[in-house]
Amino acid sequence: MSQLSTRHLLGIKDITEQDIHTIFDTAQNFKEVINRPIKKVPSLRDITIANIFFENSTRTKLSFELAEKRLSADVVNFSSSNSSVKKGETLIDTVNNILSMKVDMVVMRHSSPGAAHFLSRNIKANIVNAGDGTHEHPTQALLDAYSIREKLGDVAGKKVAIIGDILHSRVALSNIFCLQKLGAEVMVCGPITLLPKHIASLGVKVEYDVQKALEWCDVANVLRIQLERQQIKYFPSLREYSLYYGINRKMLDRLDKEIVIMHPGPINRGVELNSDVADSEHSIILHQVENGVAVRMAVLYLLAGAK
Amino acid sequence: MAIIFQSLAIIDPSGIKDPSDFIFDEQNGLRELKGENIPADAVNIDCKGLYASQGWVDLKCFNGEPGLEYKEDLESLGQGLAKGGFVKAVLLPNTDPAIQTKSDVEFLKTRTKDFFSKIIIQGALTKDTKGEDFTEILDLANSGVKVFGDGLKPLANSDRLMKALQYLQKFDGIVFDHSYDPLLAIFGQMHEGEASTRLGMKGIPPLAEEVAIQKNIEILKYTGGRLHFQTVSTIKSVKLIREAKKEGLAVTADVSLYQLLFSDEDLATFDTNMKVKPPFRGESEREALLGGLKDGTIDAIVSNHRPHDFDAKHIEFDFAGHGMLGLQTFLPGLIQLEKELGWPLLIEKVTSGPNKVLGESEDNSLVIFDPKKKWKFNSKTNTSKSNNSPWFGKELTGQVKYLINRNKYIKINE
Repeated sequence: MSQLSTRHLLGIKDITEQDIHTIFDTAQNFKEVINRPIKKVPSLRDITIANIFFENSTRTKLSFELAEKRLSADVVNFSSSNSSVKKGETLIDTVNNILSMKVDMVVMRHSSPGAAHFLSRNIKANIVNAGDGTHEHPTQALLDAYSIREKLGDVAGKKVAIIGDILHSRVALSNIFCLQKLGAEVMVCGPITLLPKHIASLGVKVEYDVQKALEWCDVANVLRIQLERQQIKYFPSLREYSLYYGINRKMLDRLDKEIVIMHPGPINRGVELNSDVADSEHSIILHQVENGVAVRMAVLYLLAGAK
Repeated sequence: MAIIFQSLAIIDPSGIKDPSDFIFDEQNGLRELKGENIPADAVNIDCKGLYASQGWVDLKCFNGEPGLEYKEDLESLGQGLAKGGFVKAVLLPNTDPAIQTKSDVEFLKTRTKDFFSKIIIQGALTKDTKGEDFTEILDLANSGVKVFGDGLKPLANSDRLMKALQYLQKFDGIVFDHSYDPLLAIFGQMHEGEASTRLGMKGIPPLAEEVAIQKNIEILKYTGGRLHFQTVSTIKSVKLIREAKKEGLAVTADVSLYQLLFSDEDLATFDTNMKVKPPFRGESEREALLGGLKDGTIDAIVSNHRPHDFDAKHIEFDFAGHGMLGLQTFLPGLIQLEKELGWPLLIEKVTSGPNKVLGESEDNSLVIFDPKKKWKFNSKTNTSKSNNSPWFGKELTGQVKYLINRNKYIKINE
């Protein structure tokens, strides 16, 4: 079994380019598996995985659960929209309680940046970060890059624009790290109040005009406006945002080339992306969802082998 | 009983003196041994390789009693101060309830009357340090309080600061403030920069501190009075205070010792021990702070001792409390700066510098320390009730050996 350089997937920052290629190669095999009539393999039989979600999630949780079940793992789920601390129990206590039930791996989503790192220092199970606040969402970045590779043949040398709420996005950061490791050029674009002030220090281009970003890129990864993570106001209204930062069909028609449209979902239709773009031939949004299962199967399989 | 300190090299702000012998007894205190008859029962202590200076003064130190004794109580604090080489310390008012009435002051005085180190009480300027209604300032002043502030919280309300600077002039009181604009620092977890961007954490921009310092200097120009900026951390803060001093304003400043030893890059693993306020910043900020110490803009180096119980730090980063231990690790920290700043300057910033801020004269105290002694900072040696320090469990260099204060002598570590 191919091994990764780490026993946890805490962030793309912490893995190597070789790890990413290993995950992609493994995901390729699993994608073939999940398209067979019998979609299940026994790879993780006798492995118990806990999906612990301290923030609301539908698709990521579903995708992980499906990946785990396709690998024949035993799955337990714990969801709480409030953080454990607010309930009077610490994160460590919550997780240790679950681990006492002999869990081998933990997939965790949490509102605090670094929560997965904290957990990895304090418990023995393998950890997969399914999103830690505004820090990283590594499996999303992996499936995004995998989808770009599948569509365009390679990630290296491609120009990818990440458009929208960069400040509150864990997807943006993981994508930046992943795409750069694979040799792509990255641009971020959005209202200046939704771009971290020092974002250029990560080696990305910065653009405030969406049309110009679309003209520059081969791939536009459009992010959801994270209203739930915006504790204060960053722009006047959703209407104004959709008028000046939303992407519609006319904007794509003005380009002299075809570009690929991506979105990590769930889409705020009519806000960051109009339906005539989201459902167009440019969009690979549903491929991203399918690849998500294969990539997560690969990550879980490889980490289980790293025990 | 007399004690003879043989071959003791004294450091003061003017330099390191050649080693000579000193004698101490409780009746006459400390003096250089010059042809004096040595009592037959005098104890000799060989001080070769040790340094000594006037005892150290800390302008920012957290006490948890009353209310937060599980972090630090007065007994553990007293031990920490002595182990750290401090003969005088200003205690923050952020207890629960805050130190804000005459009886609170009497309580602290009674509890600390036998302390080896002299305790200076910072009285809360506003009730419960909420930045709104004033405490009974004159009543507190009559109980001996001359330093006022809301401690860990900034006096962000301009009107409160203005009136405080005016009101305190009746008794030459000093306003201590950790100035920053809370709205510009809102939700901030660390210094805003490349590291915070990479870690996906909300940053605290230098602007938050600089806007407040600039505003507060303007208020001071209008009111007169005495204003002391605590734990400054940015390039422009140093510049603003330098200019204010040049203009002749009664303004002073201090910097936290560990601000000079760590940077925002040290937060890369989300270590909650590195979560402090003000946040660790970058190398250019560090250089500006060192420059401020060298040219006299910054008057004092403080421990910024901020103990936290295990649960307050053993938690997700954004829920963790700010601060780290600073007393017993103070000398090992100073030693790390010795090459850049030199002993005379470092000693100035922990003796005459902070004394000047407080308006206090030099005393006859002495701290004797071994700059090369290696020791392990662990649960056996730690006097604090907390252990939130990135140095906990590590070997440190530099240990305080003896202290003399108010004609009393103690052995700290032998």
